Amino acid sequence: MIFKTTPAPRRRLRRVRTTTALRPLRHRLDPARVEEIPFRAADGVRLGLTRVDPGGSGRPAVLLLHGHTASADMFLLPETRNLVDSLLDDGYEPWLLDWRGSCRLPYNETGQRYTYDDVALYDIPAAVSHIRERIGDRPLFVVAHCIGSLTLSLSMTAGLVPGLAGVVSQGVFLTPKLAGRTSLRMSVAGELLKSRIDHIPVDFRKVGLRSKYTPLFALASRRATCPDPTCQMLHNSAWGSGASLFVHENLSDATHDRLAELLGPAPLWILPHLRRIELARSVVRWHETDGRYRSLPRNALDAAARIDTPVLLLAGSENGLWLDSQKLCHEILAHRQPQLDVRYTEIPGYGHLDTFLGRGAALDVFGHILDFLAERR
Amino acid sequence: MRDMNEDAAANAGQRTDAGQRTDAGQRADAGRATAEEIERGGGGLGVSELLALVMTADPAGPGPASGDSAPTPRSDATAPAVDATAPAVDATGPAVDAADPAFDQDGLADAIAVAAGRHLPQGHLDADADFFDAGGSSVHAVELAAELERDLGVELDLDDVFADARPSSLARRWLERGGRAAPLPAPRTADAEKLPAPAPAVLPTSAPAAAQAILSVRSPRSAQPAPVTTLPLPDLGDDPHSTARREDLDQILADLALADRLPFLRSPEPLPPRRILLTGATGFLGSHMLLDLLRHSDAHVYCLVRGADEEAATARLAEQLRTYRLPWNAEVRRRVTVLPGDIRRPRLGLSEELWHTLAHELDSVVGVAAAVDFLRGYQSLRAGNVLGALTLAELAATGRPKPLHHISSIAVFNEVGISSMGEDDPFAHVDRLVAGYDQSKWAAETALRRARDHGLIVSALRPGGIGGHTKTGAYNPQDLSSGLISAFGRFRTVPAFRYLNAAPVDWVSRVAVAVVCEPDAWGFDYNLTGVPNTLDDVVRDMAFGGMHVRVEDWDEWRTDTLARLQAQPVPELAFLTRVLQSPTALKLCEATLRGPAASAERTDALVEALGLTPAARYDAQAQLKTFEKLAGDGLARLPRKEDQPYLWFAETTEGRVHRAGGTESTAGTESTAGTAGTESTAGTASMAGAESTADTADHDDSPGSPCSMALTLSIASMYQLVKERRIDVSGEITCPAAHAEPLTVVHGDIWVRPEEGIPQQHGLKHPLLRYRLRLHDADGRPWWLEGHKYARARRDLWRQTRALTIELGREGEPAAFTGEVVVPADSYVRDQIDGIKVAPHLAGREKRAAKLTWLAWFGLEMGRGLAGPFARAAADLLDLRRTPNPTERHR
Repeated sequence: MIFKTTPAPRRRLRRVRTTTALRPLRHRLDPARVEEIPFRAADGVRLGLTRVDPGGSGRPAVLLLHGHTASADMFLLPETRNLVDSLLDDGYEPWLLDWRGSCRLPYNETGQRYTYDDVALYDIPAAVSHIRERIGDRPLFVVAHCIGSLTLSLSMTAGLVPGLAGVVSQGVFLTPKLAGRTSLRMSVAGELLKSRIDHIPVDFRKVGLRSKYTPLFALASRRATCPDPTCQMLHNSAWGSGASLFVHENLSDATHDRLAELLGPAPLWILPHLRRIELARSVVRWHETDGRYRSLPRNALDAAARIDTPVLLLAGSENGLWLDSQKLCHEILAHRQPQLDVRYTEIPGYGHLDTFLGRGAALDVFGHILDFLAERR
Repeated sequence: MRDMNEDAAANAGQRTDAGQRTDAGQRADAGRATAEEIERGGGGLGVSELLALVMTADPAGPGPASGDSAPTPRSDATAPAVDATAPAVDATGPAVDAADPAFDQDGLADAIAVAAGRHLPQGHLDADADFFDAGGSSVHAVELAAELERDLGVELDLDDVFADARPSSLARRWLERGGRAAPLPAPRTADAEKLPAPAPAVLPTSAPAAAQAILSVRSPRSAQPAPVTTLPLPDLGDDPHSTARREDLDQILADLALADRLPFLRSPEPLPPRRILLTGATGFLGSHMLLDLLRHSDAHVYCLVRGADEEAATARLAEQLRTYRLPWNAEVRRRVTVLPGDIRRPRLGLSEELWHTLAHELDSVVGVAAAVDFLRGYQSLRAGNVLGALTLAELAATGRPKPLHHISSIAVFNEVGISSMGEDDPFAHVDRLVAGYDQSKWAAETALRRARDHGLIVSALRPGGIGGHTKTGAYNPQDLSSGLISAFGRFRTVPAFRYLNAAPVDWVSRVAVAVVCEPDAWGFDYNLTGVPNTLDDVVRDMAFGGMHVRVEDWDEWRTDTLARLQAQPVPELAFLTRVLQSPTALKLCEATLRGPAASAERTDALVEALGLTPAARYDAQAQLKTFEKLAGDGLARLPRKEDQPYLWFAETTEGRVHRAGGTESTAGTESTAGTAGTESTAGTASMAGAESTADTADHDDSPGSPCSMALTLSIASMYQLVKERRIDVSGEITCPAAHAEPLTVVHGDIWVRPEEGIPQQHGLKHPLLRYRLRLHDADGRPWWLEGHKYARARRDLWRQTRALTIELGREGEPAAFTGEVVVPADSYVRDQIDGIKVAPHLAGREKRAAKLTWLAWFGLEMGRGLAGPFARAAADLLDLRRTPNPTERHR
């Protein structure tokens, strides 16, 4: 019963002249310094690429990759000291990519399906080559979060983004590992729900009290300490998977209140690829037979020898989603690919998202990133 | 009255030296000596000196101290008389010169000072400066005492040295001991040292404008009002159980009176602070509070750090933060200003201009700095712990009013036999506090309570024991609780305590910072003690960690531990040895261990209101990181392979090996990888019914030679199993092809689900167990053996758990033999379930628990490992389903 909702869908104009548009960025920088670049991936999908003018020339560039359903906004939080601030003060030129999983783009919610193969094959290499054209032979670093980092690892092991000066990976890299409970919920619930819905929203205000998503919100509120439904969906349930995305007290109130803006709905149709990756505990390609994807390795971990840049693996000690994946990754790479320059830094007391969104992230996290970049700039 | 008090105190400070013995049994003698001195040298004293003597010699003087000392009757009758004549003496005072000083006392003091200087960073020590204040550590003090005895023939009791370590007083004390009545020192000795150096030419007592100097200035001796009350001076130490020293009590009373010089104040603006002064940022709690202040407020923090200049002070702060595993980077630096200064100096050692600026710009003062030393006496600690707190109060009262947040301690309750330790409960009786540390914390908080009457907002935050960080494991190496925990784990005994009022530093720091940042929380007393641990809790926690401890009576434990520490000295625990040898520190320990549970209603209410993490018991899980770090640093000790294993059982395997090489002679790992690759492609197909034993049967048919292993698998602790996922191996391998005699295992490890069971090569062949052995043959030549058990998506699960693919080779060479050995099905249950042995020293139920825990853990791990390939195969099947494309509203 509850799955049948009545509100009449608001009809939208058919897009005839316009194309996909990005939601505007929220930041407190001088608008003149923020350059939005009309940018399309190699397969024609409209993406977002933003350059922040550092006010000087010859500075090393840093490409920031957000996580799935987040957006470049996560590096530009106006309410706290954010990563872009830190990078600008330390003399870098930040570039922000909104890859197709961004909540500033409509793809998660409306249909156009993709897998992480597309991100690794089209989005990241296109952005890197675009930036390279602009910066010439200045060094280019990448700081990547969550799925942004996971897909980056696939691009790197495919040799599509050679010659980076350094990579900082937060949360997960080559060896994704979920808690058994999360994995089970993701597989089973995903299978059960996928014929009924195709995405899990996080903003209660957009779907209303009586909707087919209500049971999901109700489930997410179980044993929750915070009454905000969006926070419950993310902090207590991570889109229904039962994991936790951040340590609640690390977020400032302002950030907490605009979570719905920072993280969007999660598509369910990405679950099969995610599940395959997670069960293999290594980043694997989805497309087995499609020749367009043959440049990607079947298993990124096996191809890790192709990584040609120093990597800093960062992770919060309380990461409730990917657990100690980064530590595991460090151990495995140290054992299987001892020639790689891979180091691991654990940030005590931090979860997953709060390593960038937390109000103390500048103190506890960015310092590690800046130190790593400074060593190689 | 208050001036008298202060002067008295100043002189009591110097008087301390005259008759001082720490040993309680000798205290009465000290009192007698005092009385004699009054008669002998009284004529040469000013009124305040005399008053001081009166106070020390009055009938309430220290009686028989503790049970073992014989009370000595004293002639007290003179005291009231002297009191009454005090003003008269004052008038005549200047006329009489001081008695001539001992001809060699200054010389001896200088000699001691030179010796002491060699142990200090700056290389010299003034005769009137305190050794510890100048940077000497307990270790240095012990060395110094030994050196004095060797070089100068000065034999001093170590406890005396700790109680008052000024060379001048050490010299005097020794001379007295030597039977020679040392004369009272010239007044300059005490004045100059014990109070902060006088600010020149400023003698304000009321003008608020000059309030900044108020506490820095000695009261003018001339303005001596006659007492207006008929009350006698406080009746101290009358109680037969009193163990505080007369001189210390006098000094404490005098120090308390300093608070009365604060001006009267308005209330501060109730706003979250924007500019905070933090002292003690290089300390354990202070450094954590610095970071929490930055994280949870937008304030800029000024850190008062000792150091020659800003650069040195900053370097010191950075180094300390790093020691405590806290960040120090550009982002931290931009919000911190380091002020080189010293809490023990007037105006904190800051320039007048800076002091003035701070007084007007700061909006919060947080005093964390304190000397935490359980051996030193009150005289030695007061400059930092009491006068420092008062200087901060002065800063808070100067310029615009600001709240003062003072880190006190539940040491203010640390009296043997106190009945409760609530936030608003009465403090301990100060005359029953023995240790200088307890006294100094008591005095500081009591003085600040007086400051509240002047309108100053003072929050008193009282942590109990501060345990290591639950996330980083950073701990305070000089802290008593670290030492005790290490000793518990190392010797597997605990003293019978009632409660441990300890909380982890992250929680203490977070709550303290919440008080600083929340105006409605200012001005109250908070116990930051968390949830007390009972003896049972601790014993159970340790057993949970595989460390089964015996409970002993406190005296028994102390003797026992001390004996063990002396028999096998652990350098990192040397300070614990000293604490266990010091009578005063022991009293402190005893009071701590016998004390009641601290309660903290106000703190709990605050935590709830602000939505902070509620206090939780500092349990095994919370202590784990700290314990790991303690073990890593050599304080504690984790169970090791050489120890009696916690649990062990036998494993026998039989099978065949054949010579590797020939056609495809490659290094061992590569050949496995190759087979893994081929098999994985056939992985799903073989599910359909391919017999798994088929491949191995092929190998066995080849002319292989038999190989069998007789191993003993053991674990030293559950910790090893859960954290390292590793099992220790010993035993031998019989492989005639390699050597006629069995090969003996020198070192062996088994990893359970190595690398989370991630396949070596893309595919469905998940590693279950990895064996890595180093062996020696009978001729002493080294061999290696690498073995794997794999999980595959096949139906022969029972065999997968038992079959071990092995490679055997000489050290430094590729594999010479490969093959497969299998645990015979009949011996598996017999050896590995029924045959499990548990350490004999455990009680019966502990043995059963150990066995069950092992079986449950191992069973679960194997279950997960075996299920892995099946889950992947099943997911592949599910992915064949058509993915429907539901039409949603937001499309």
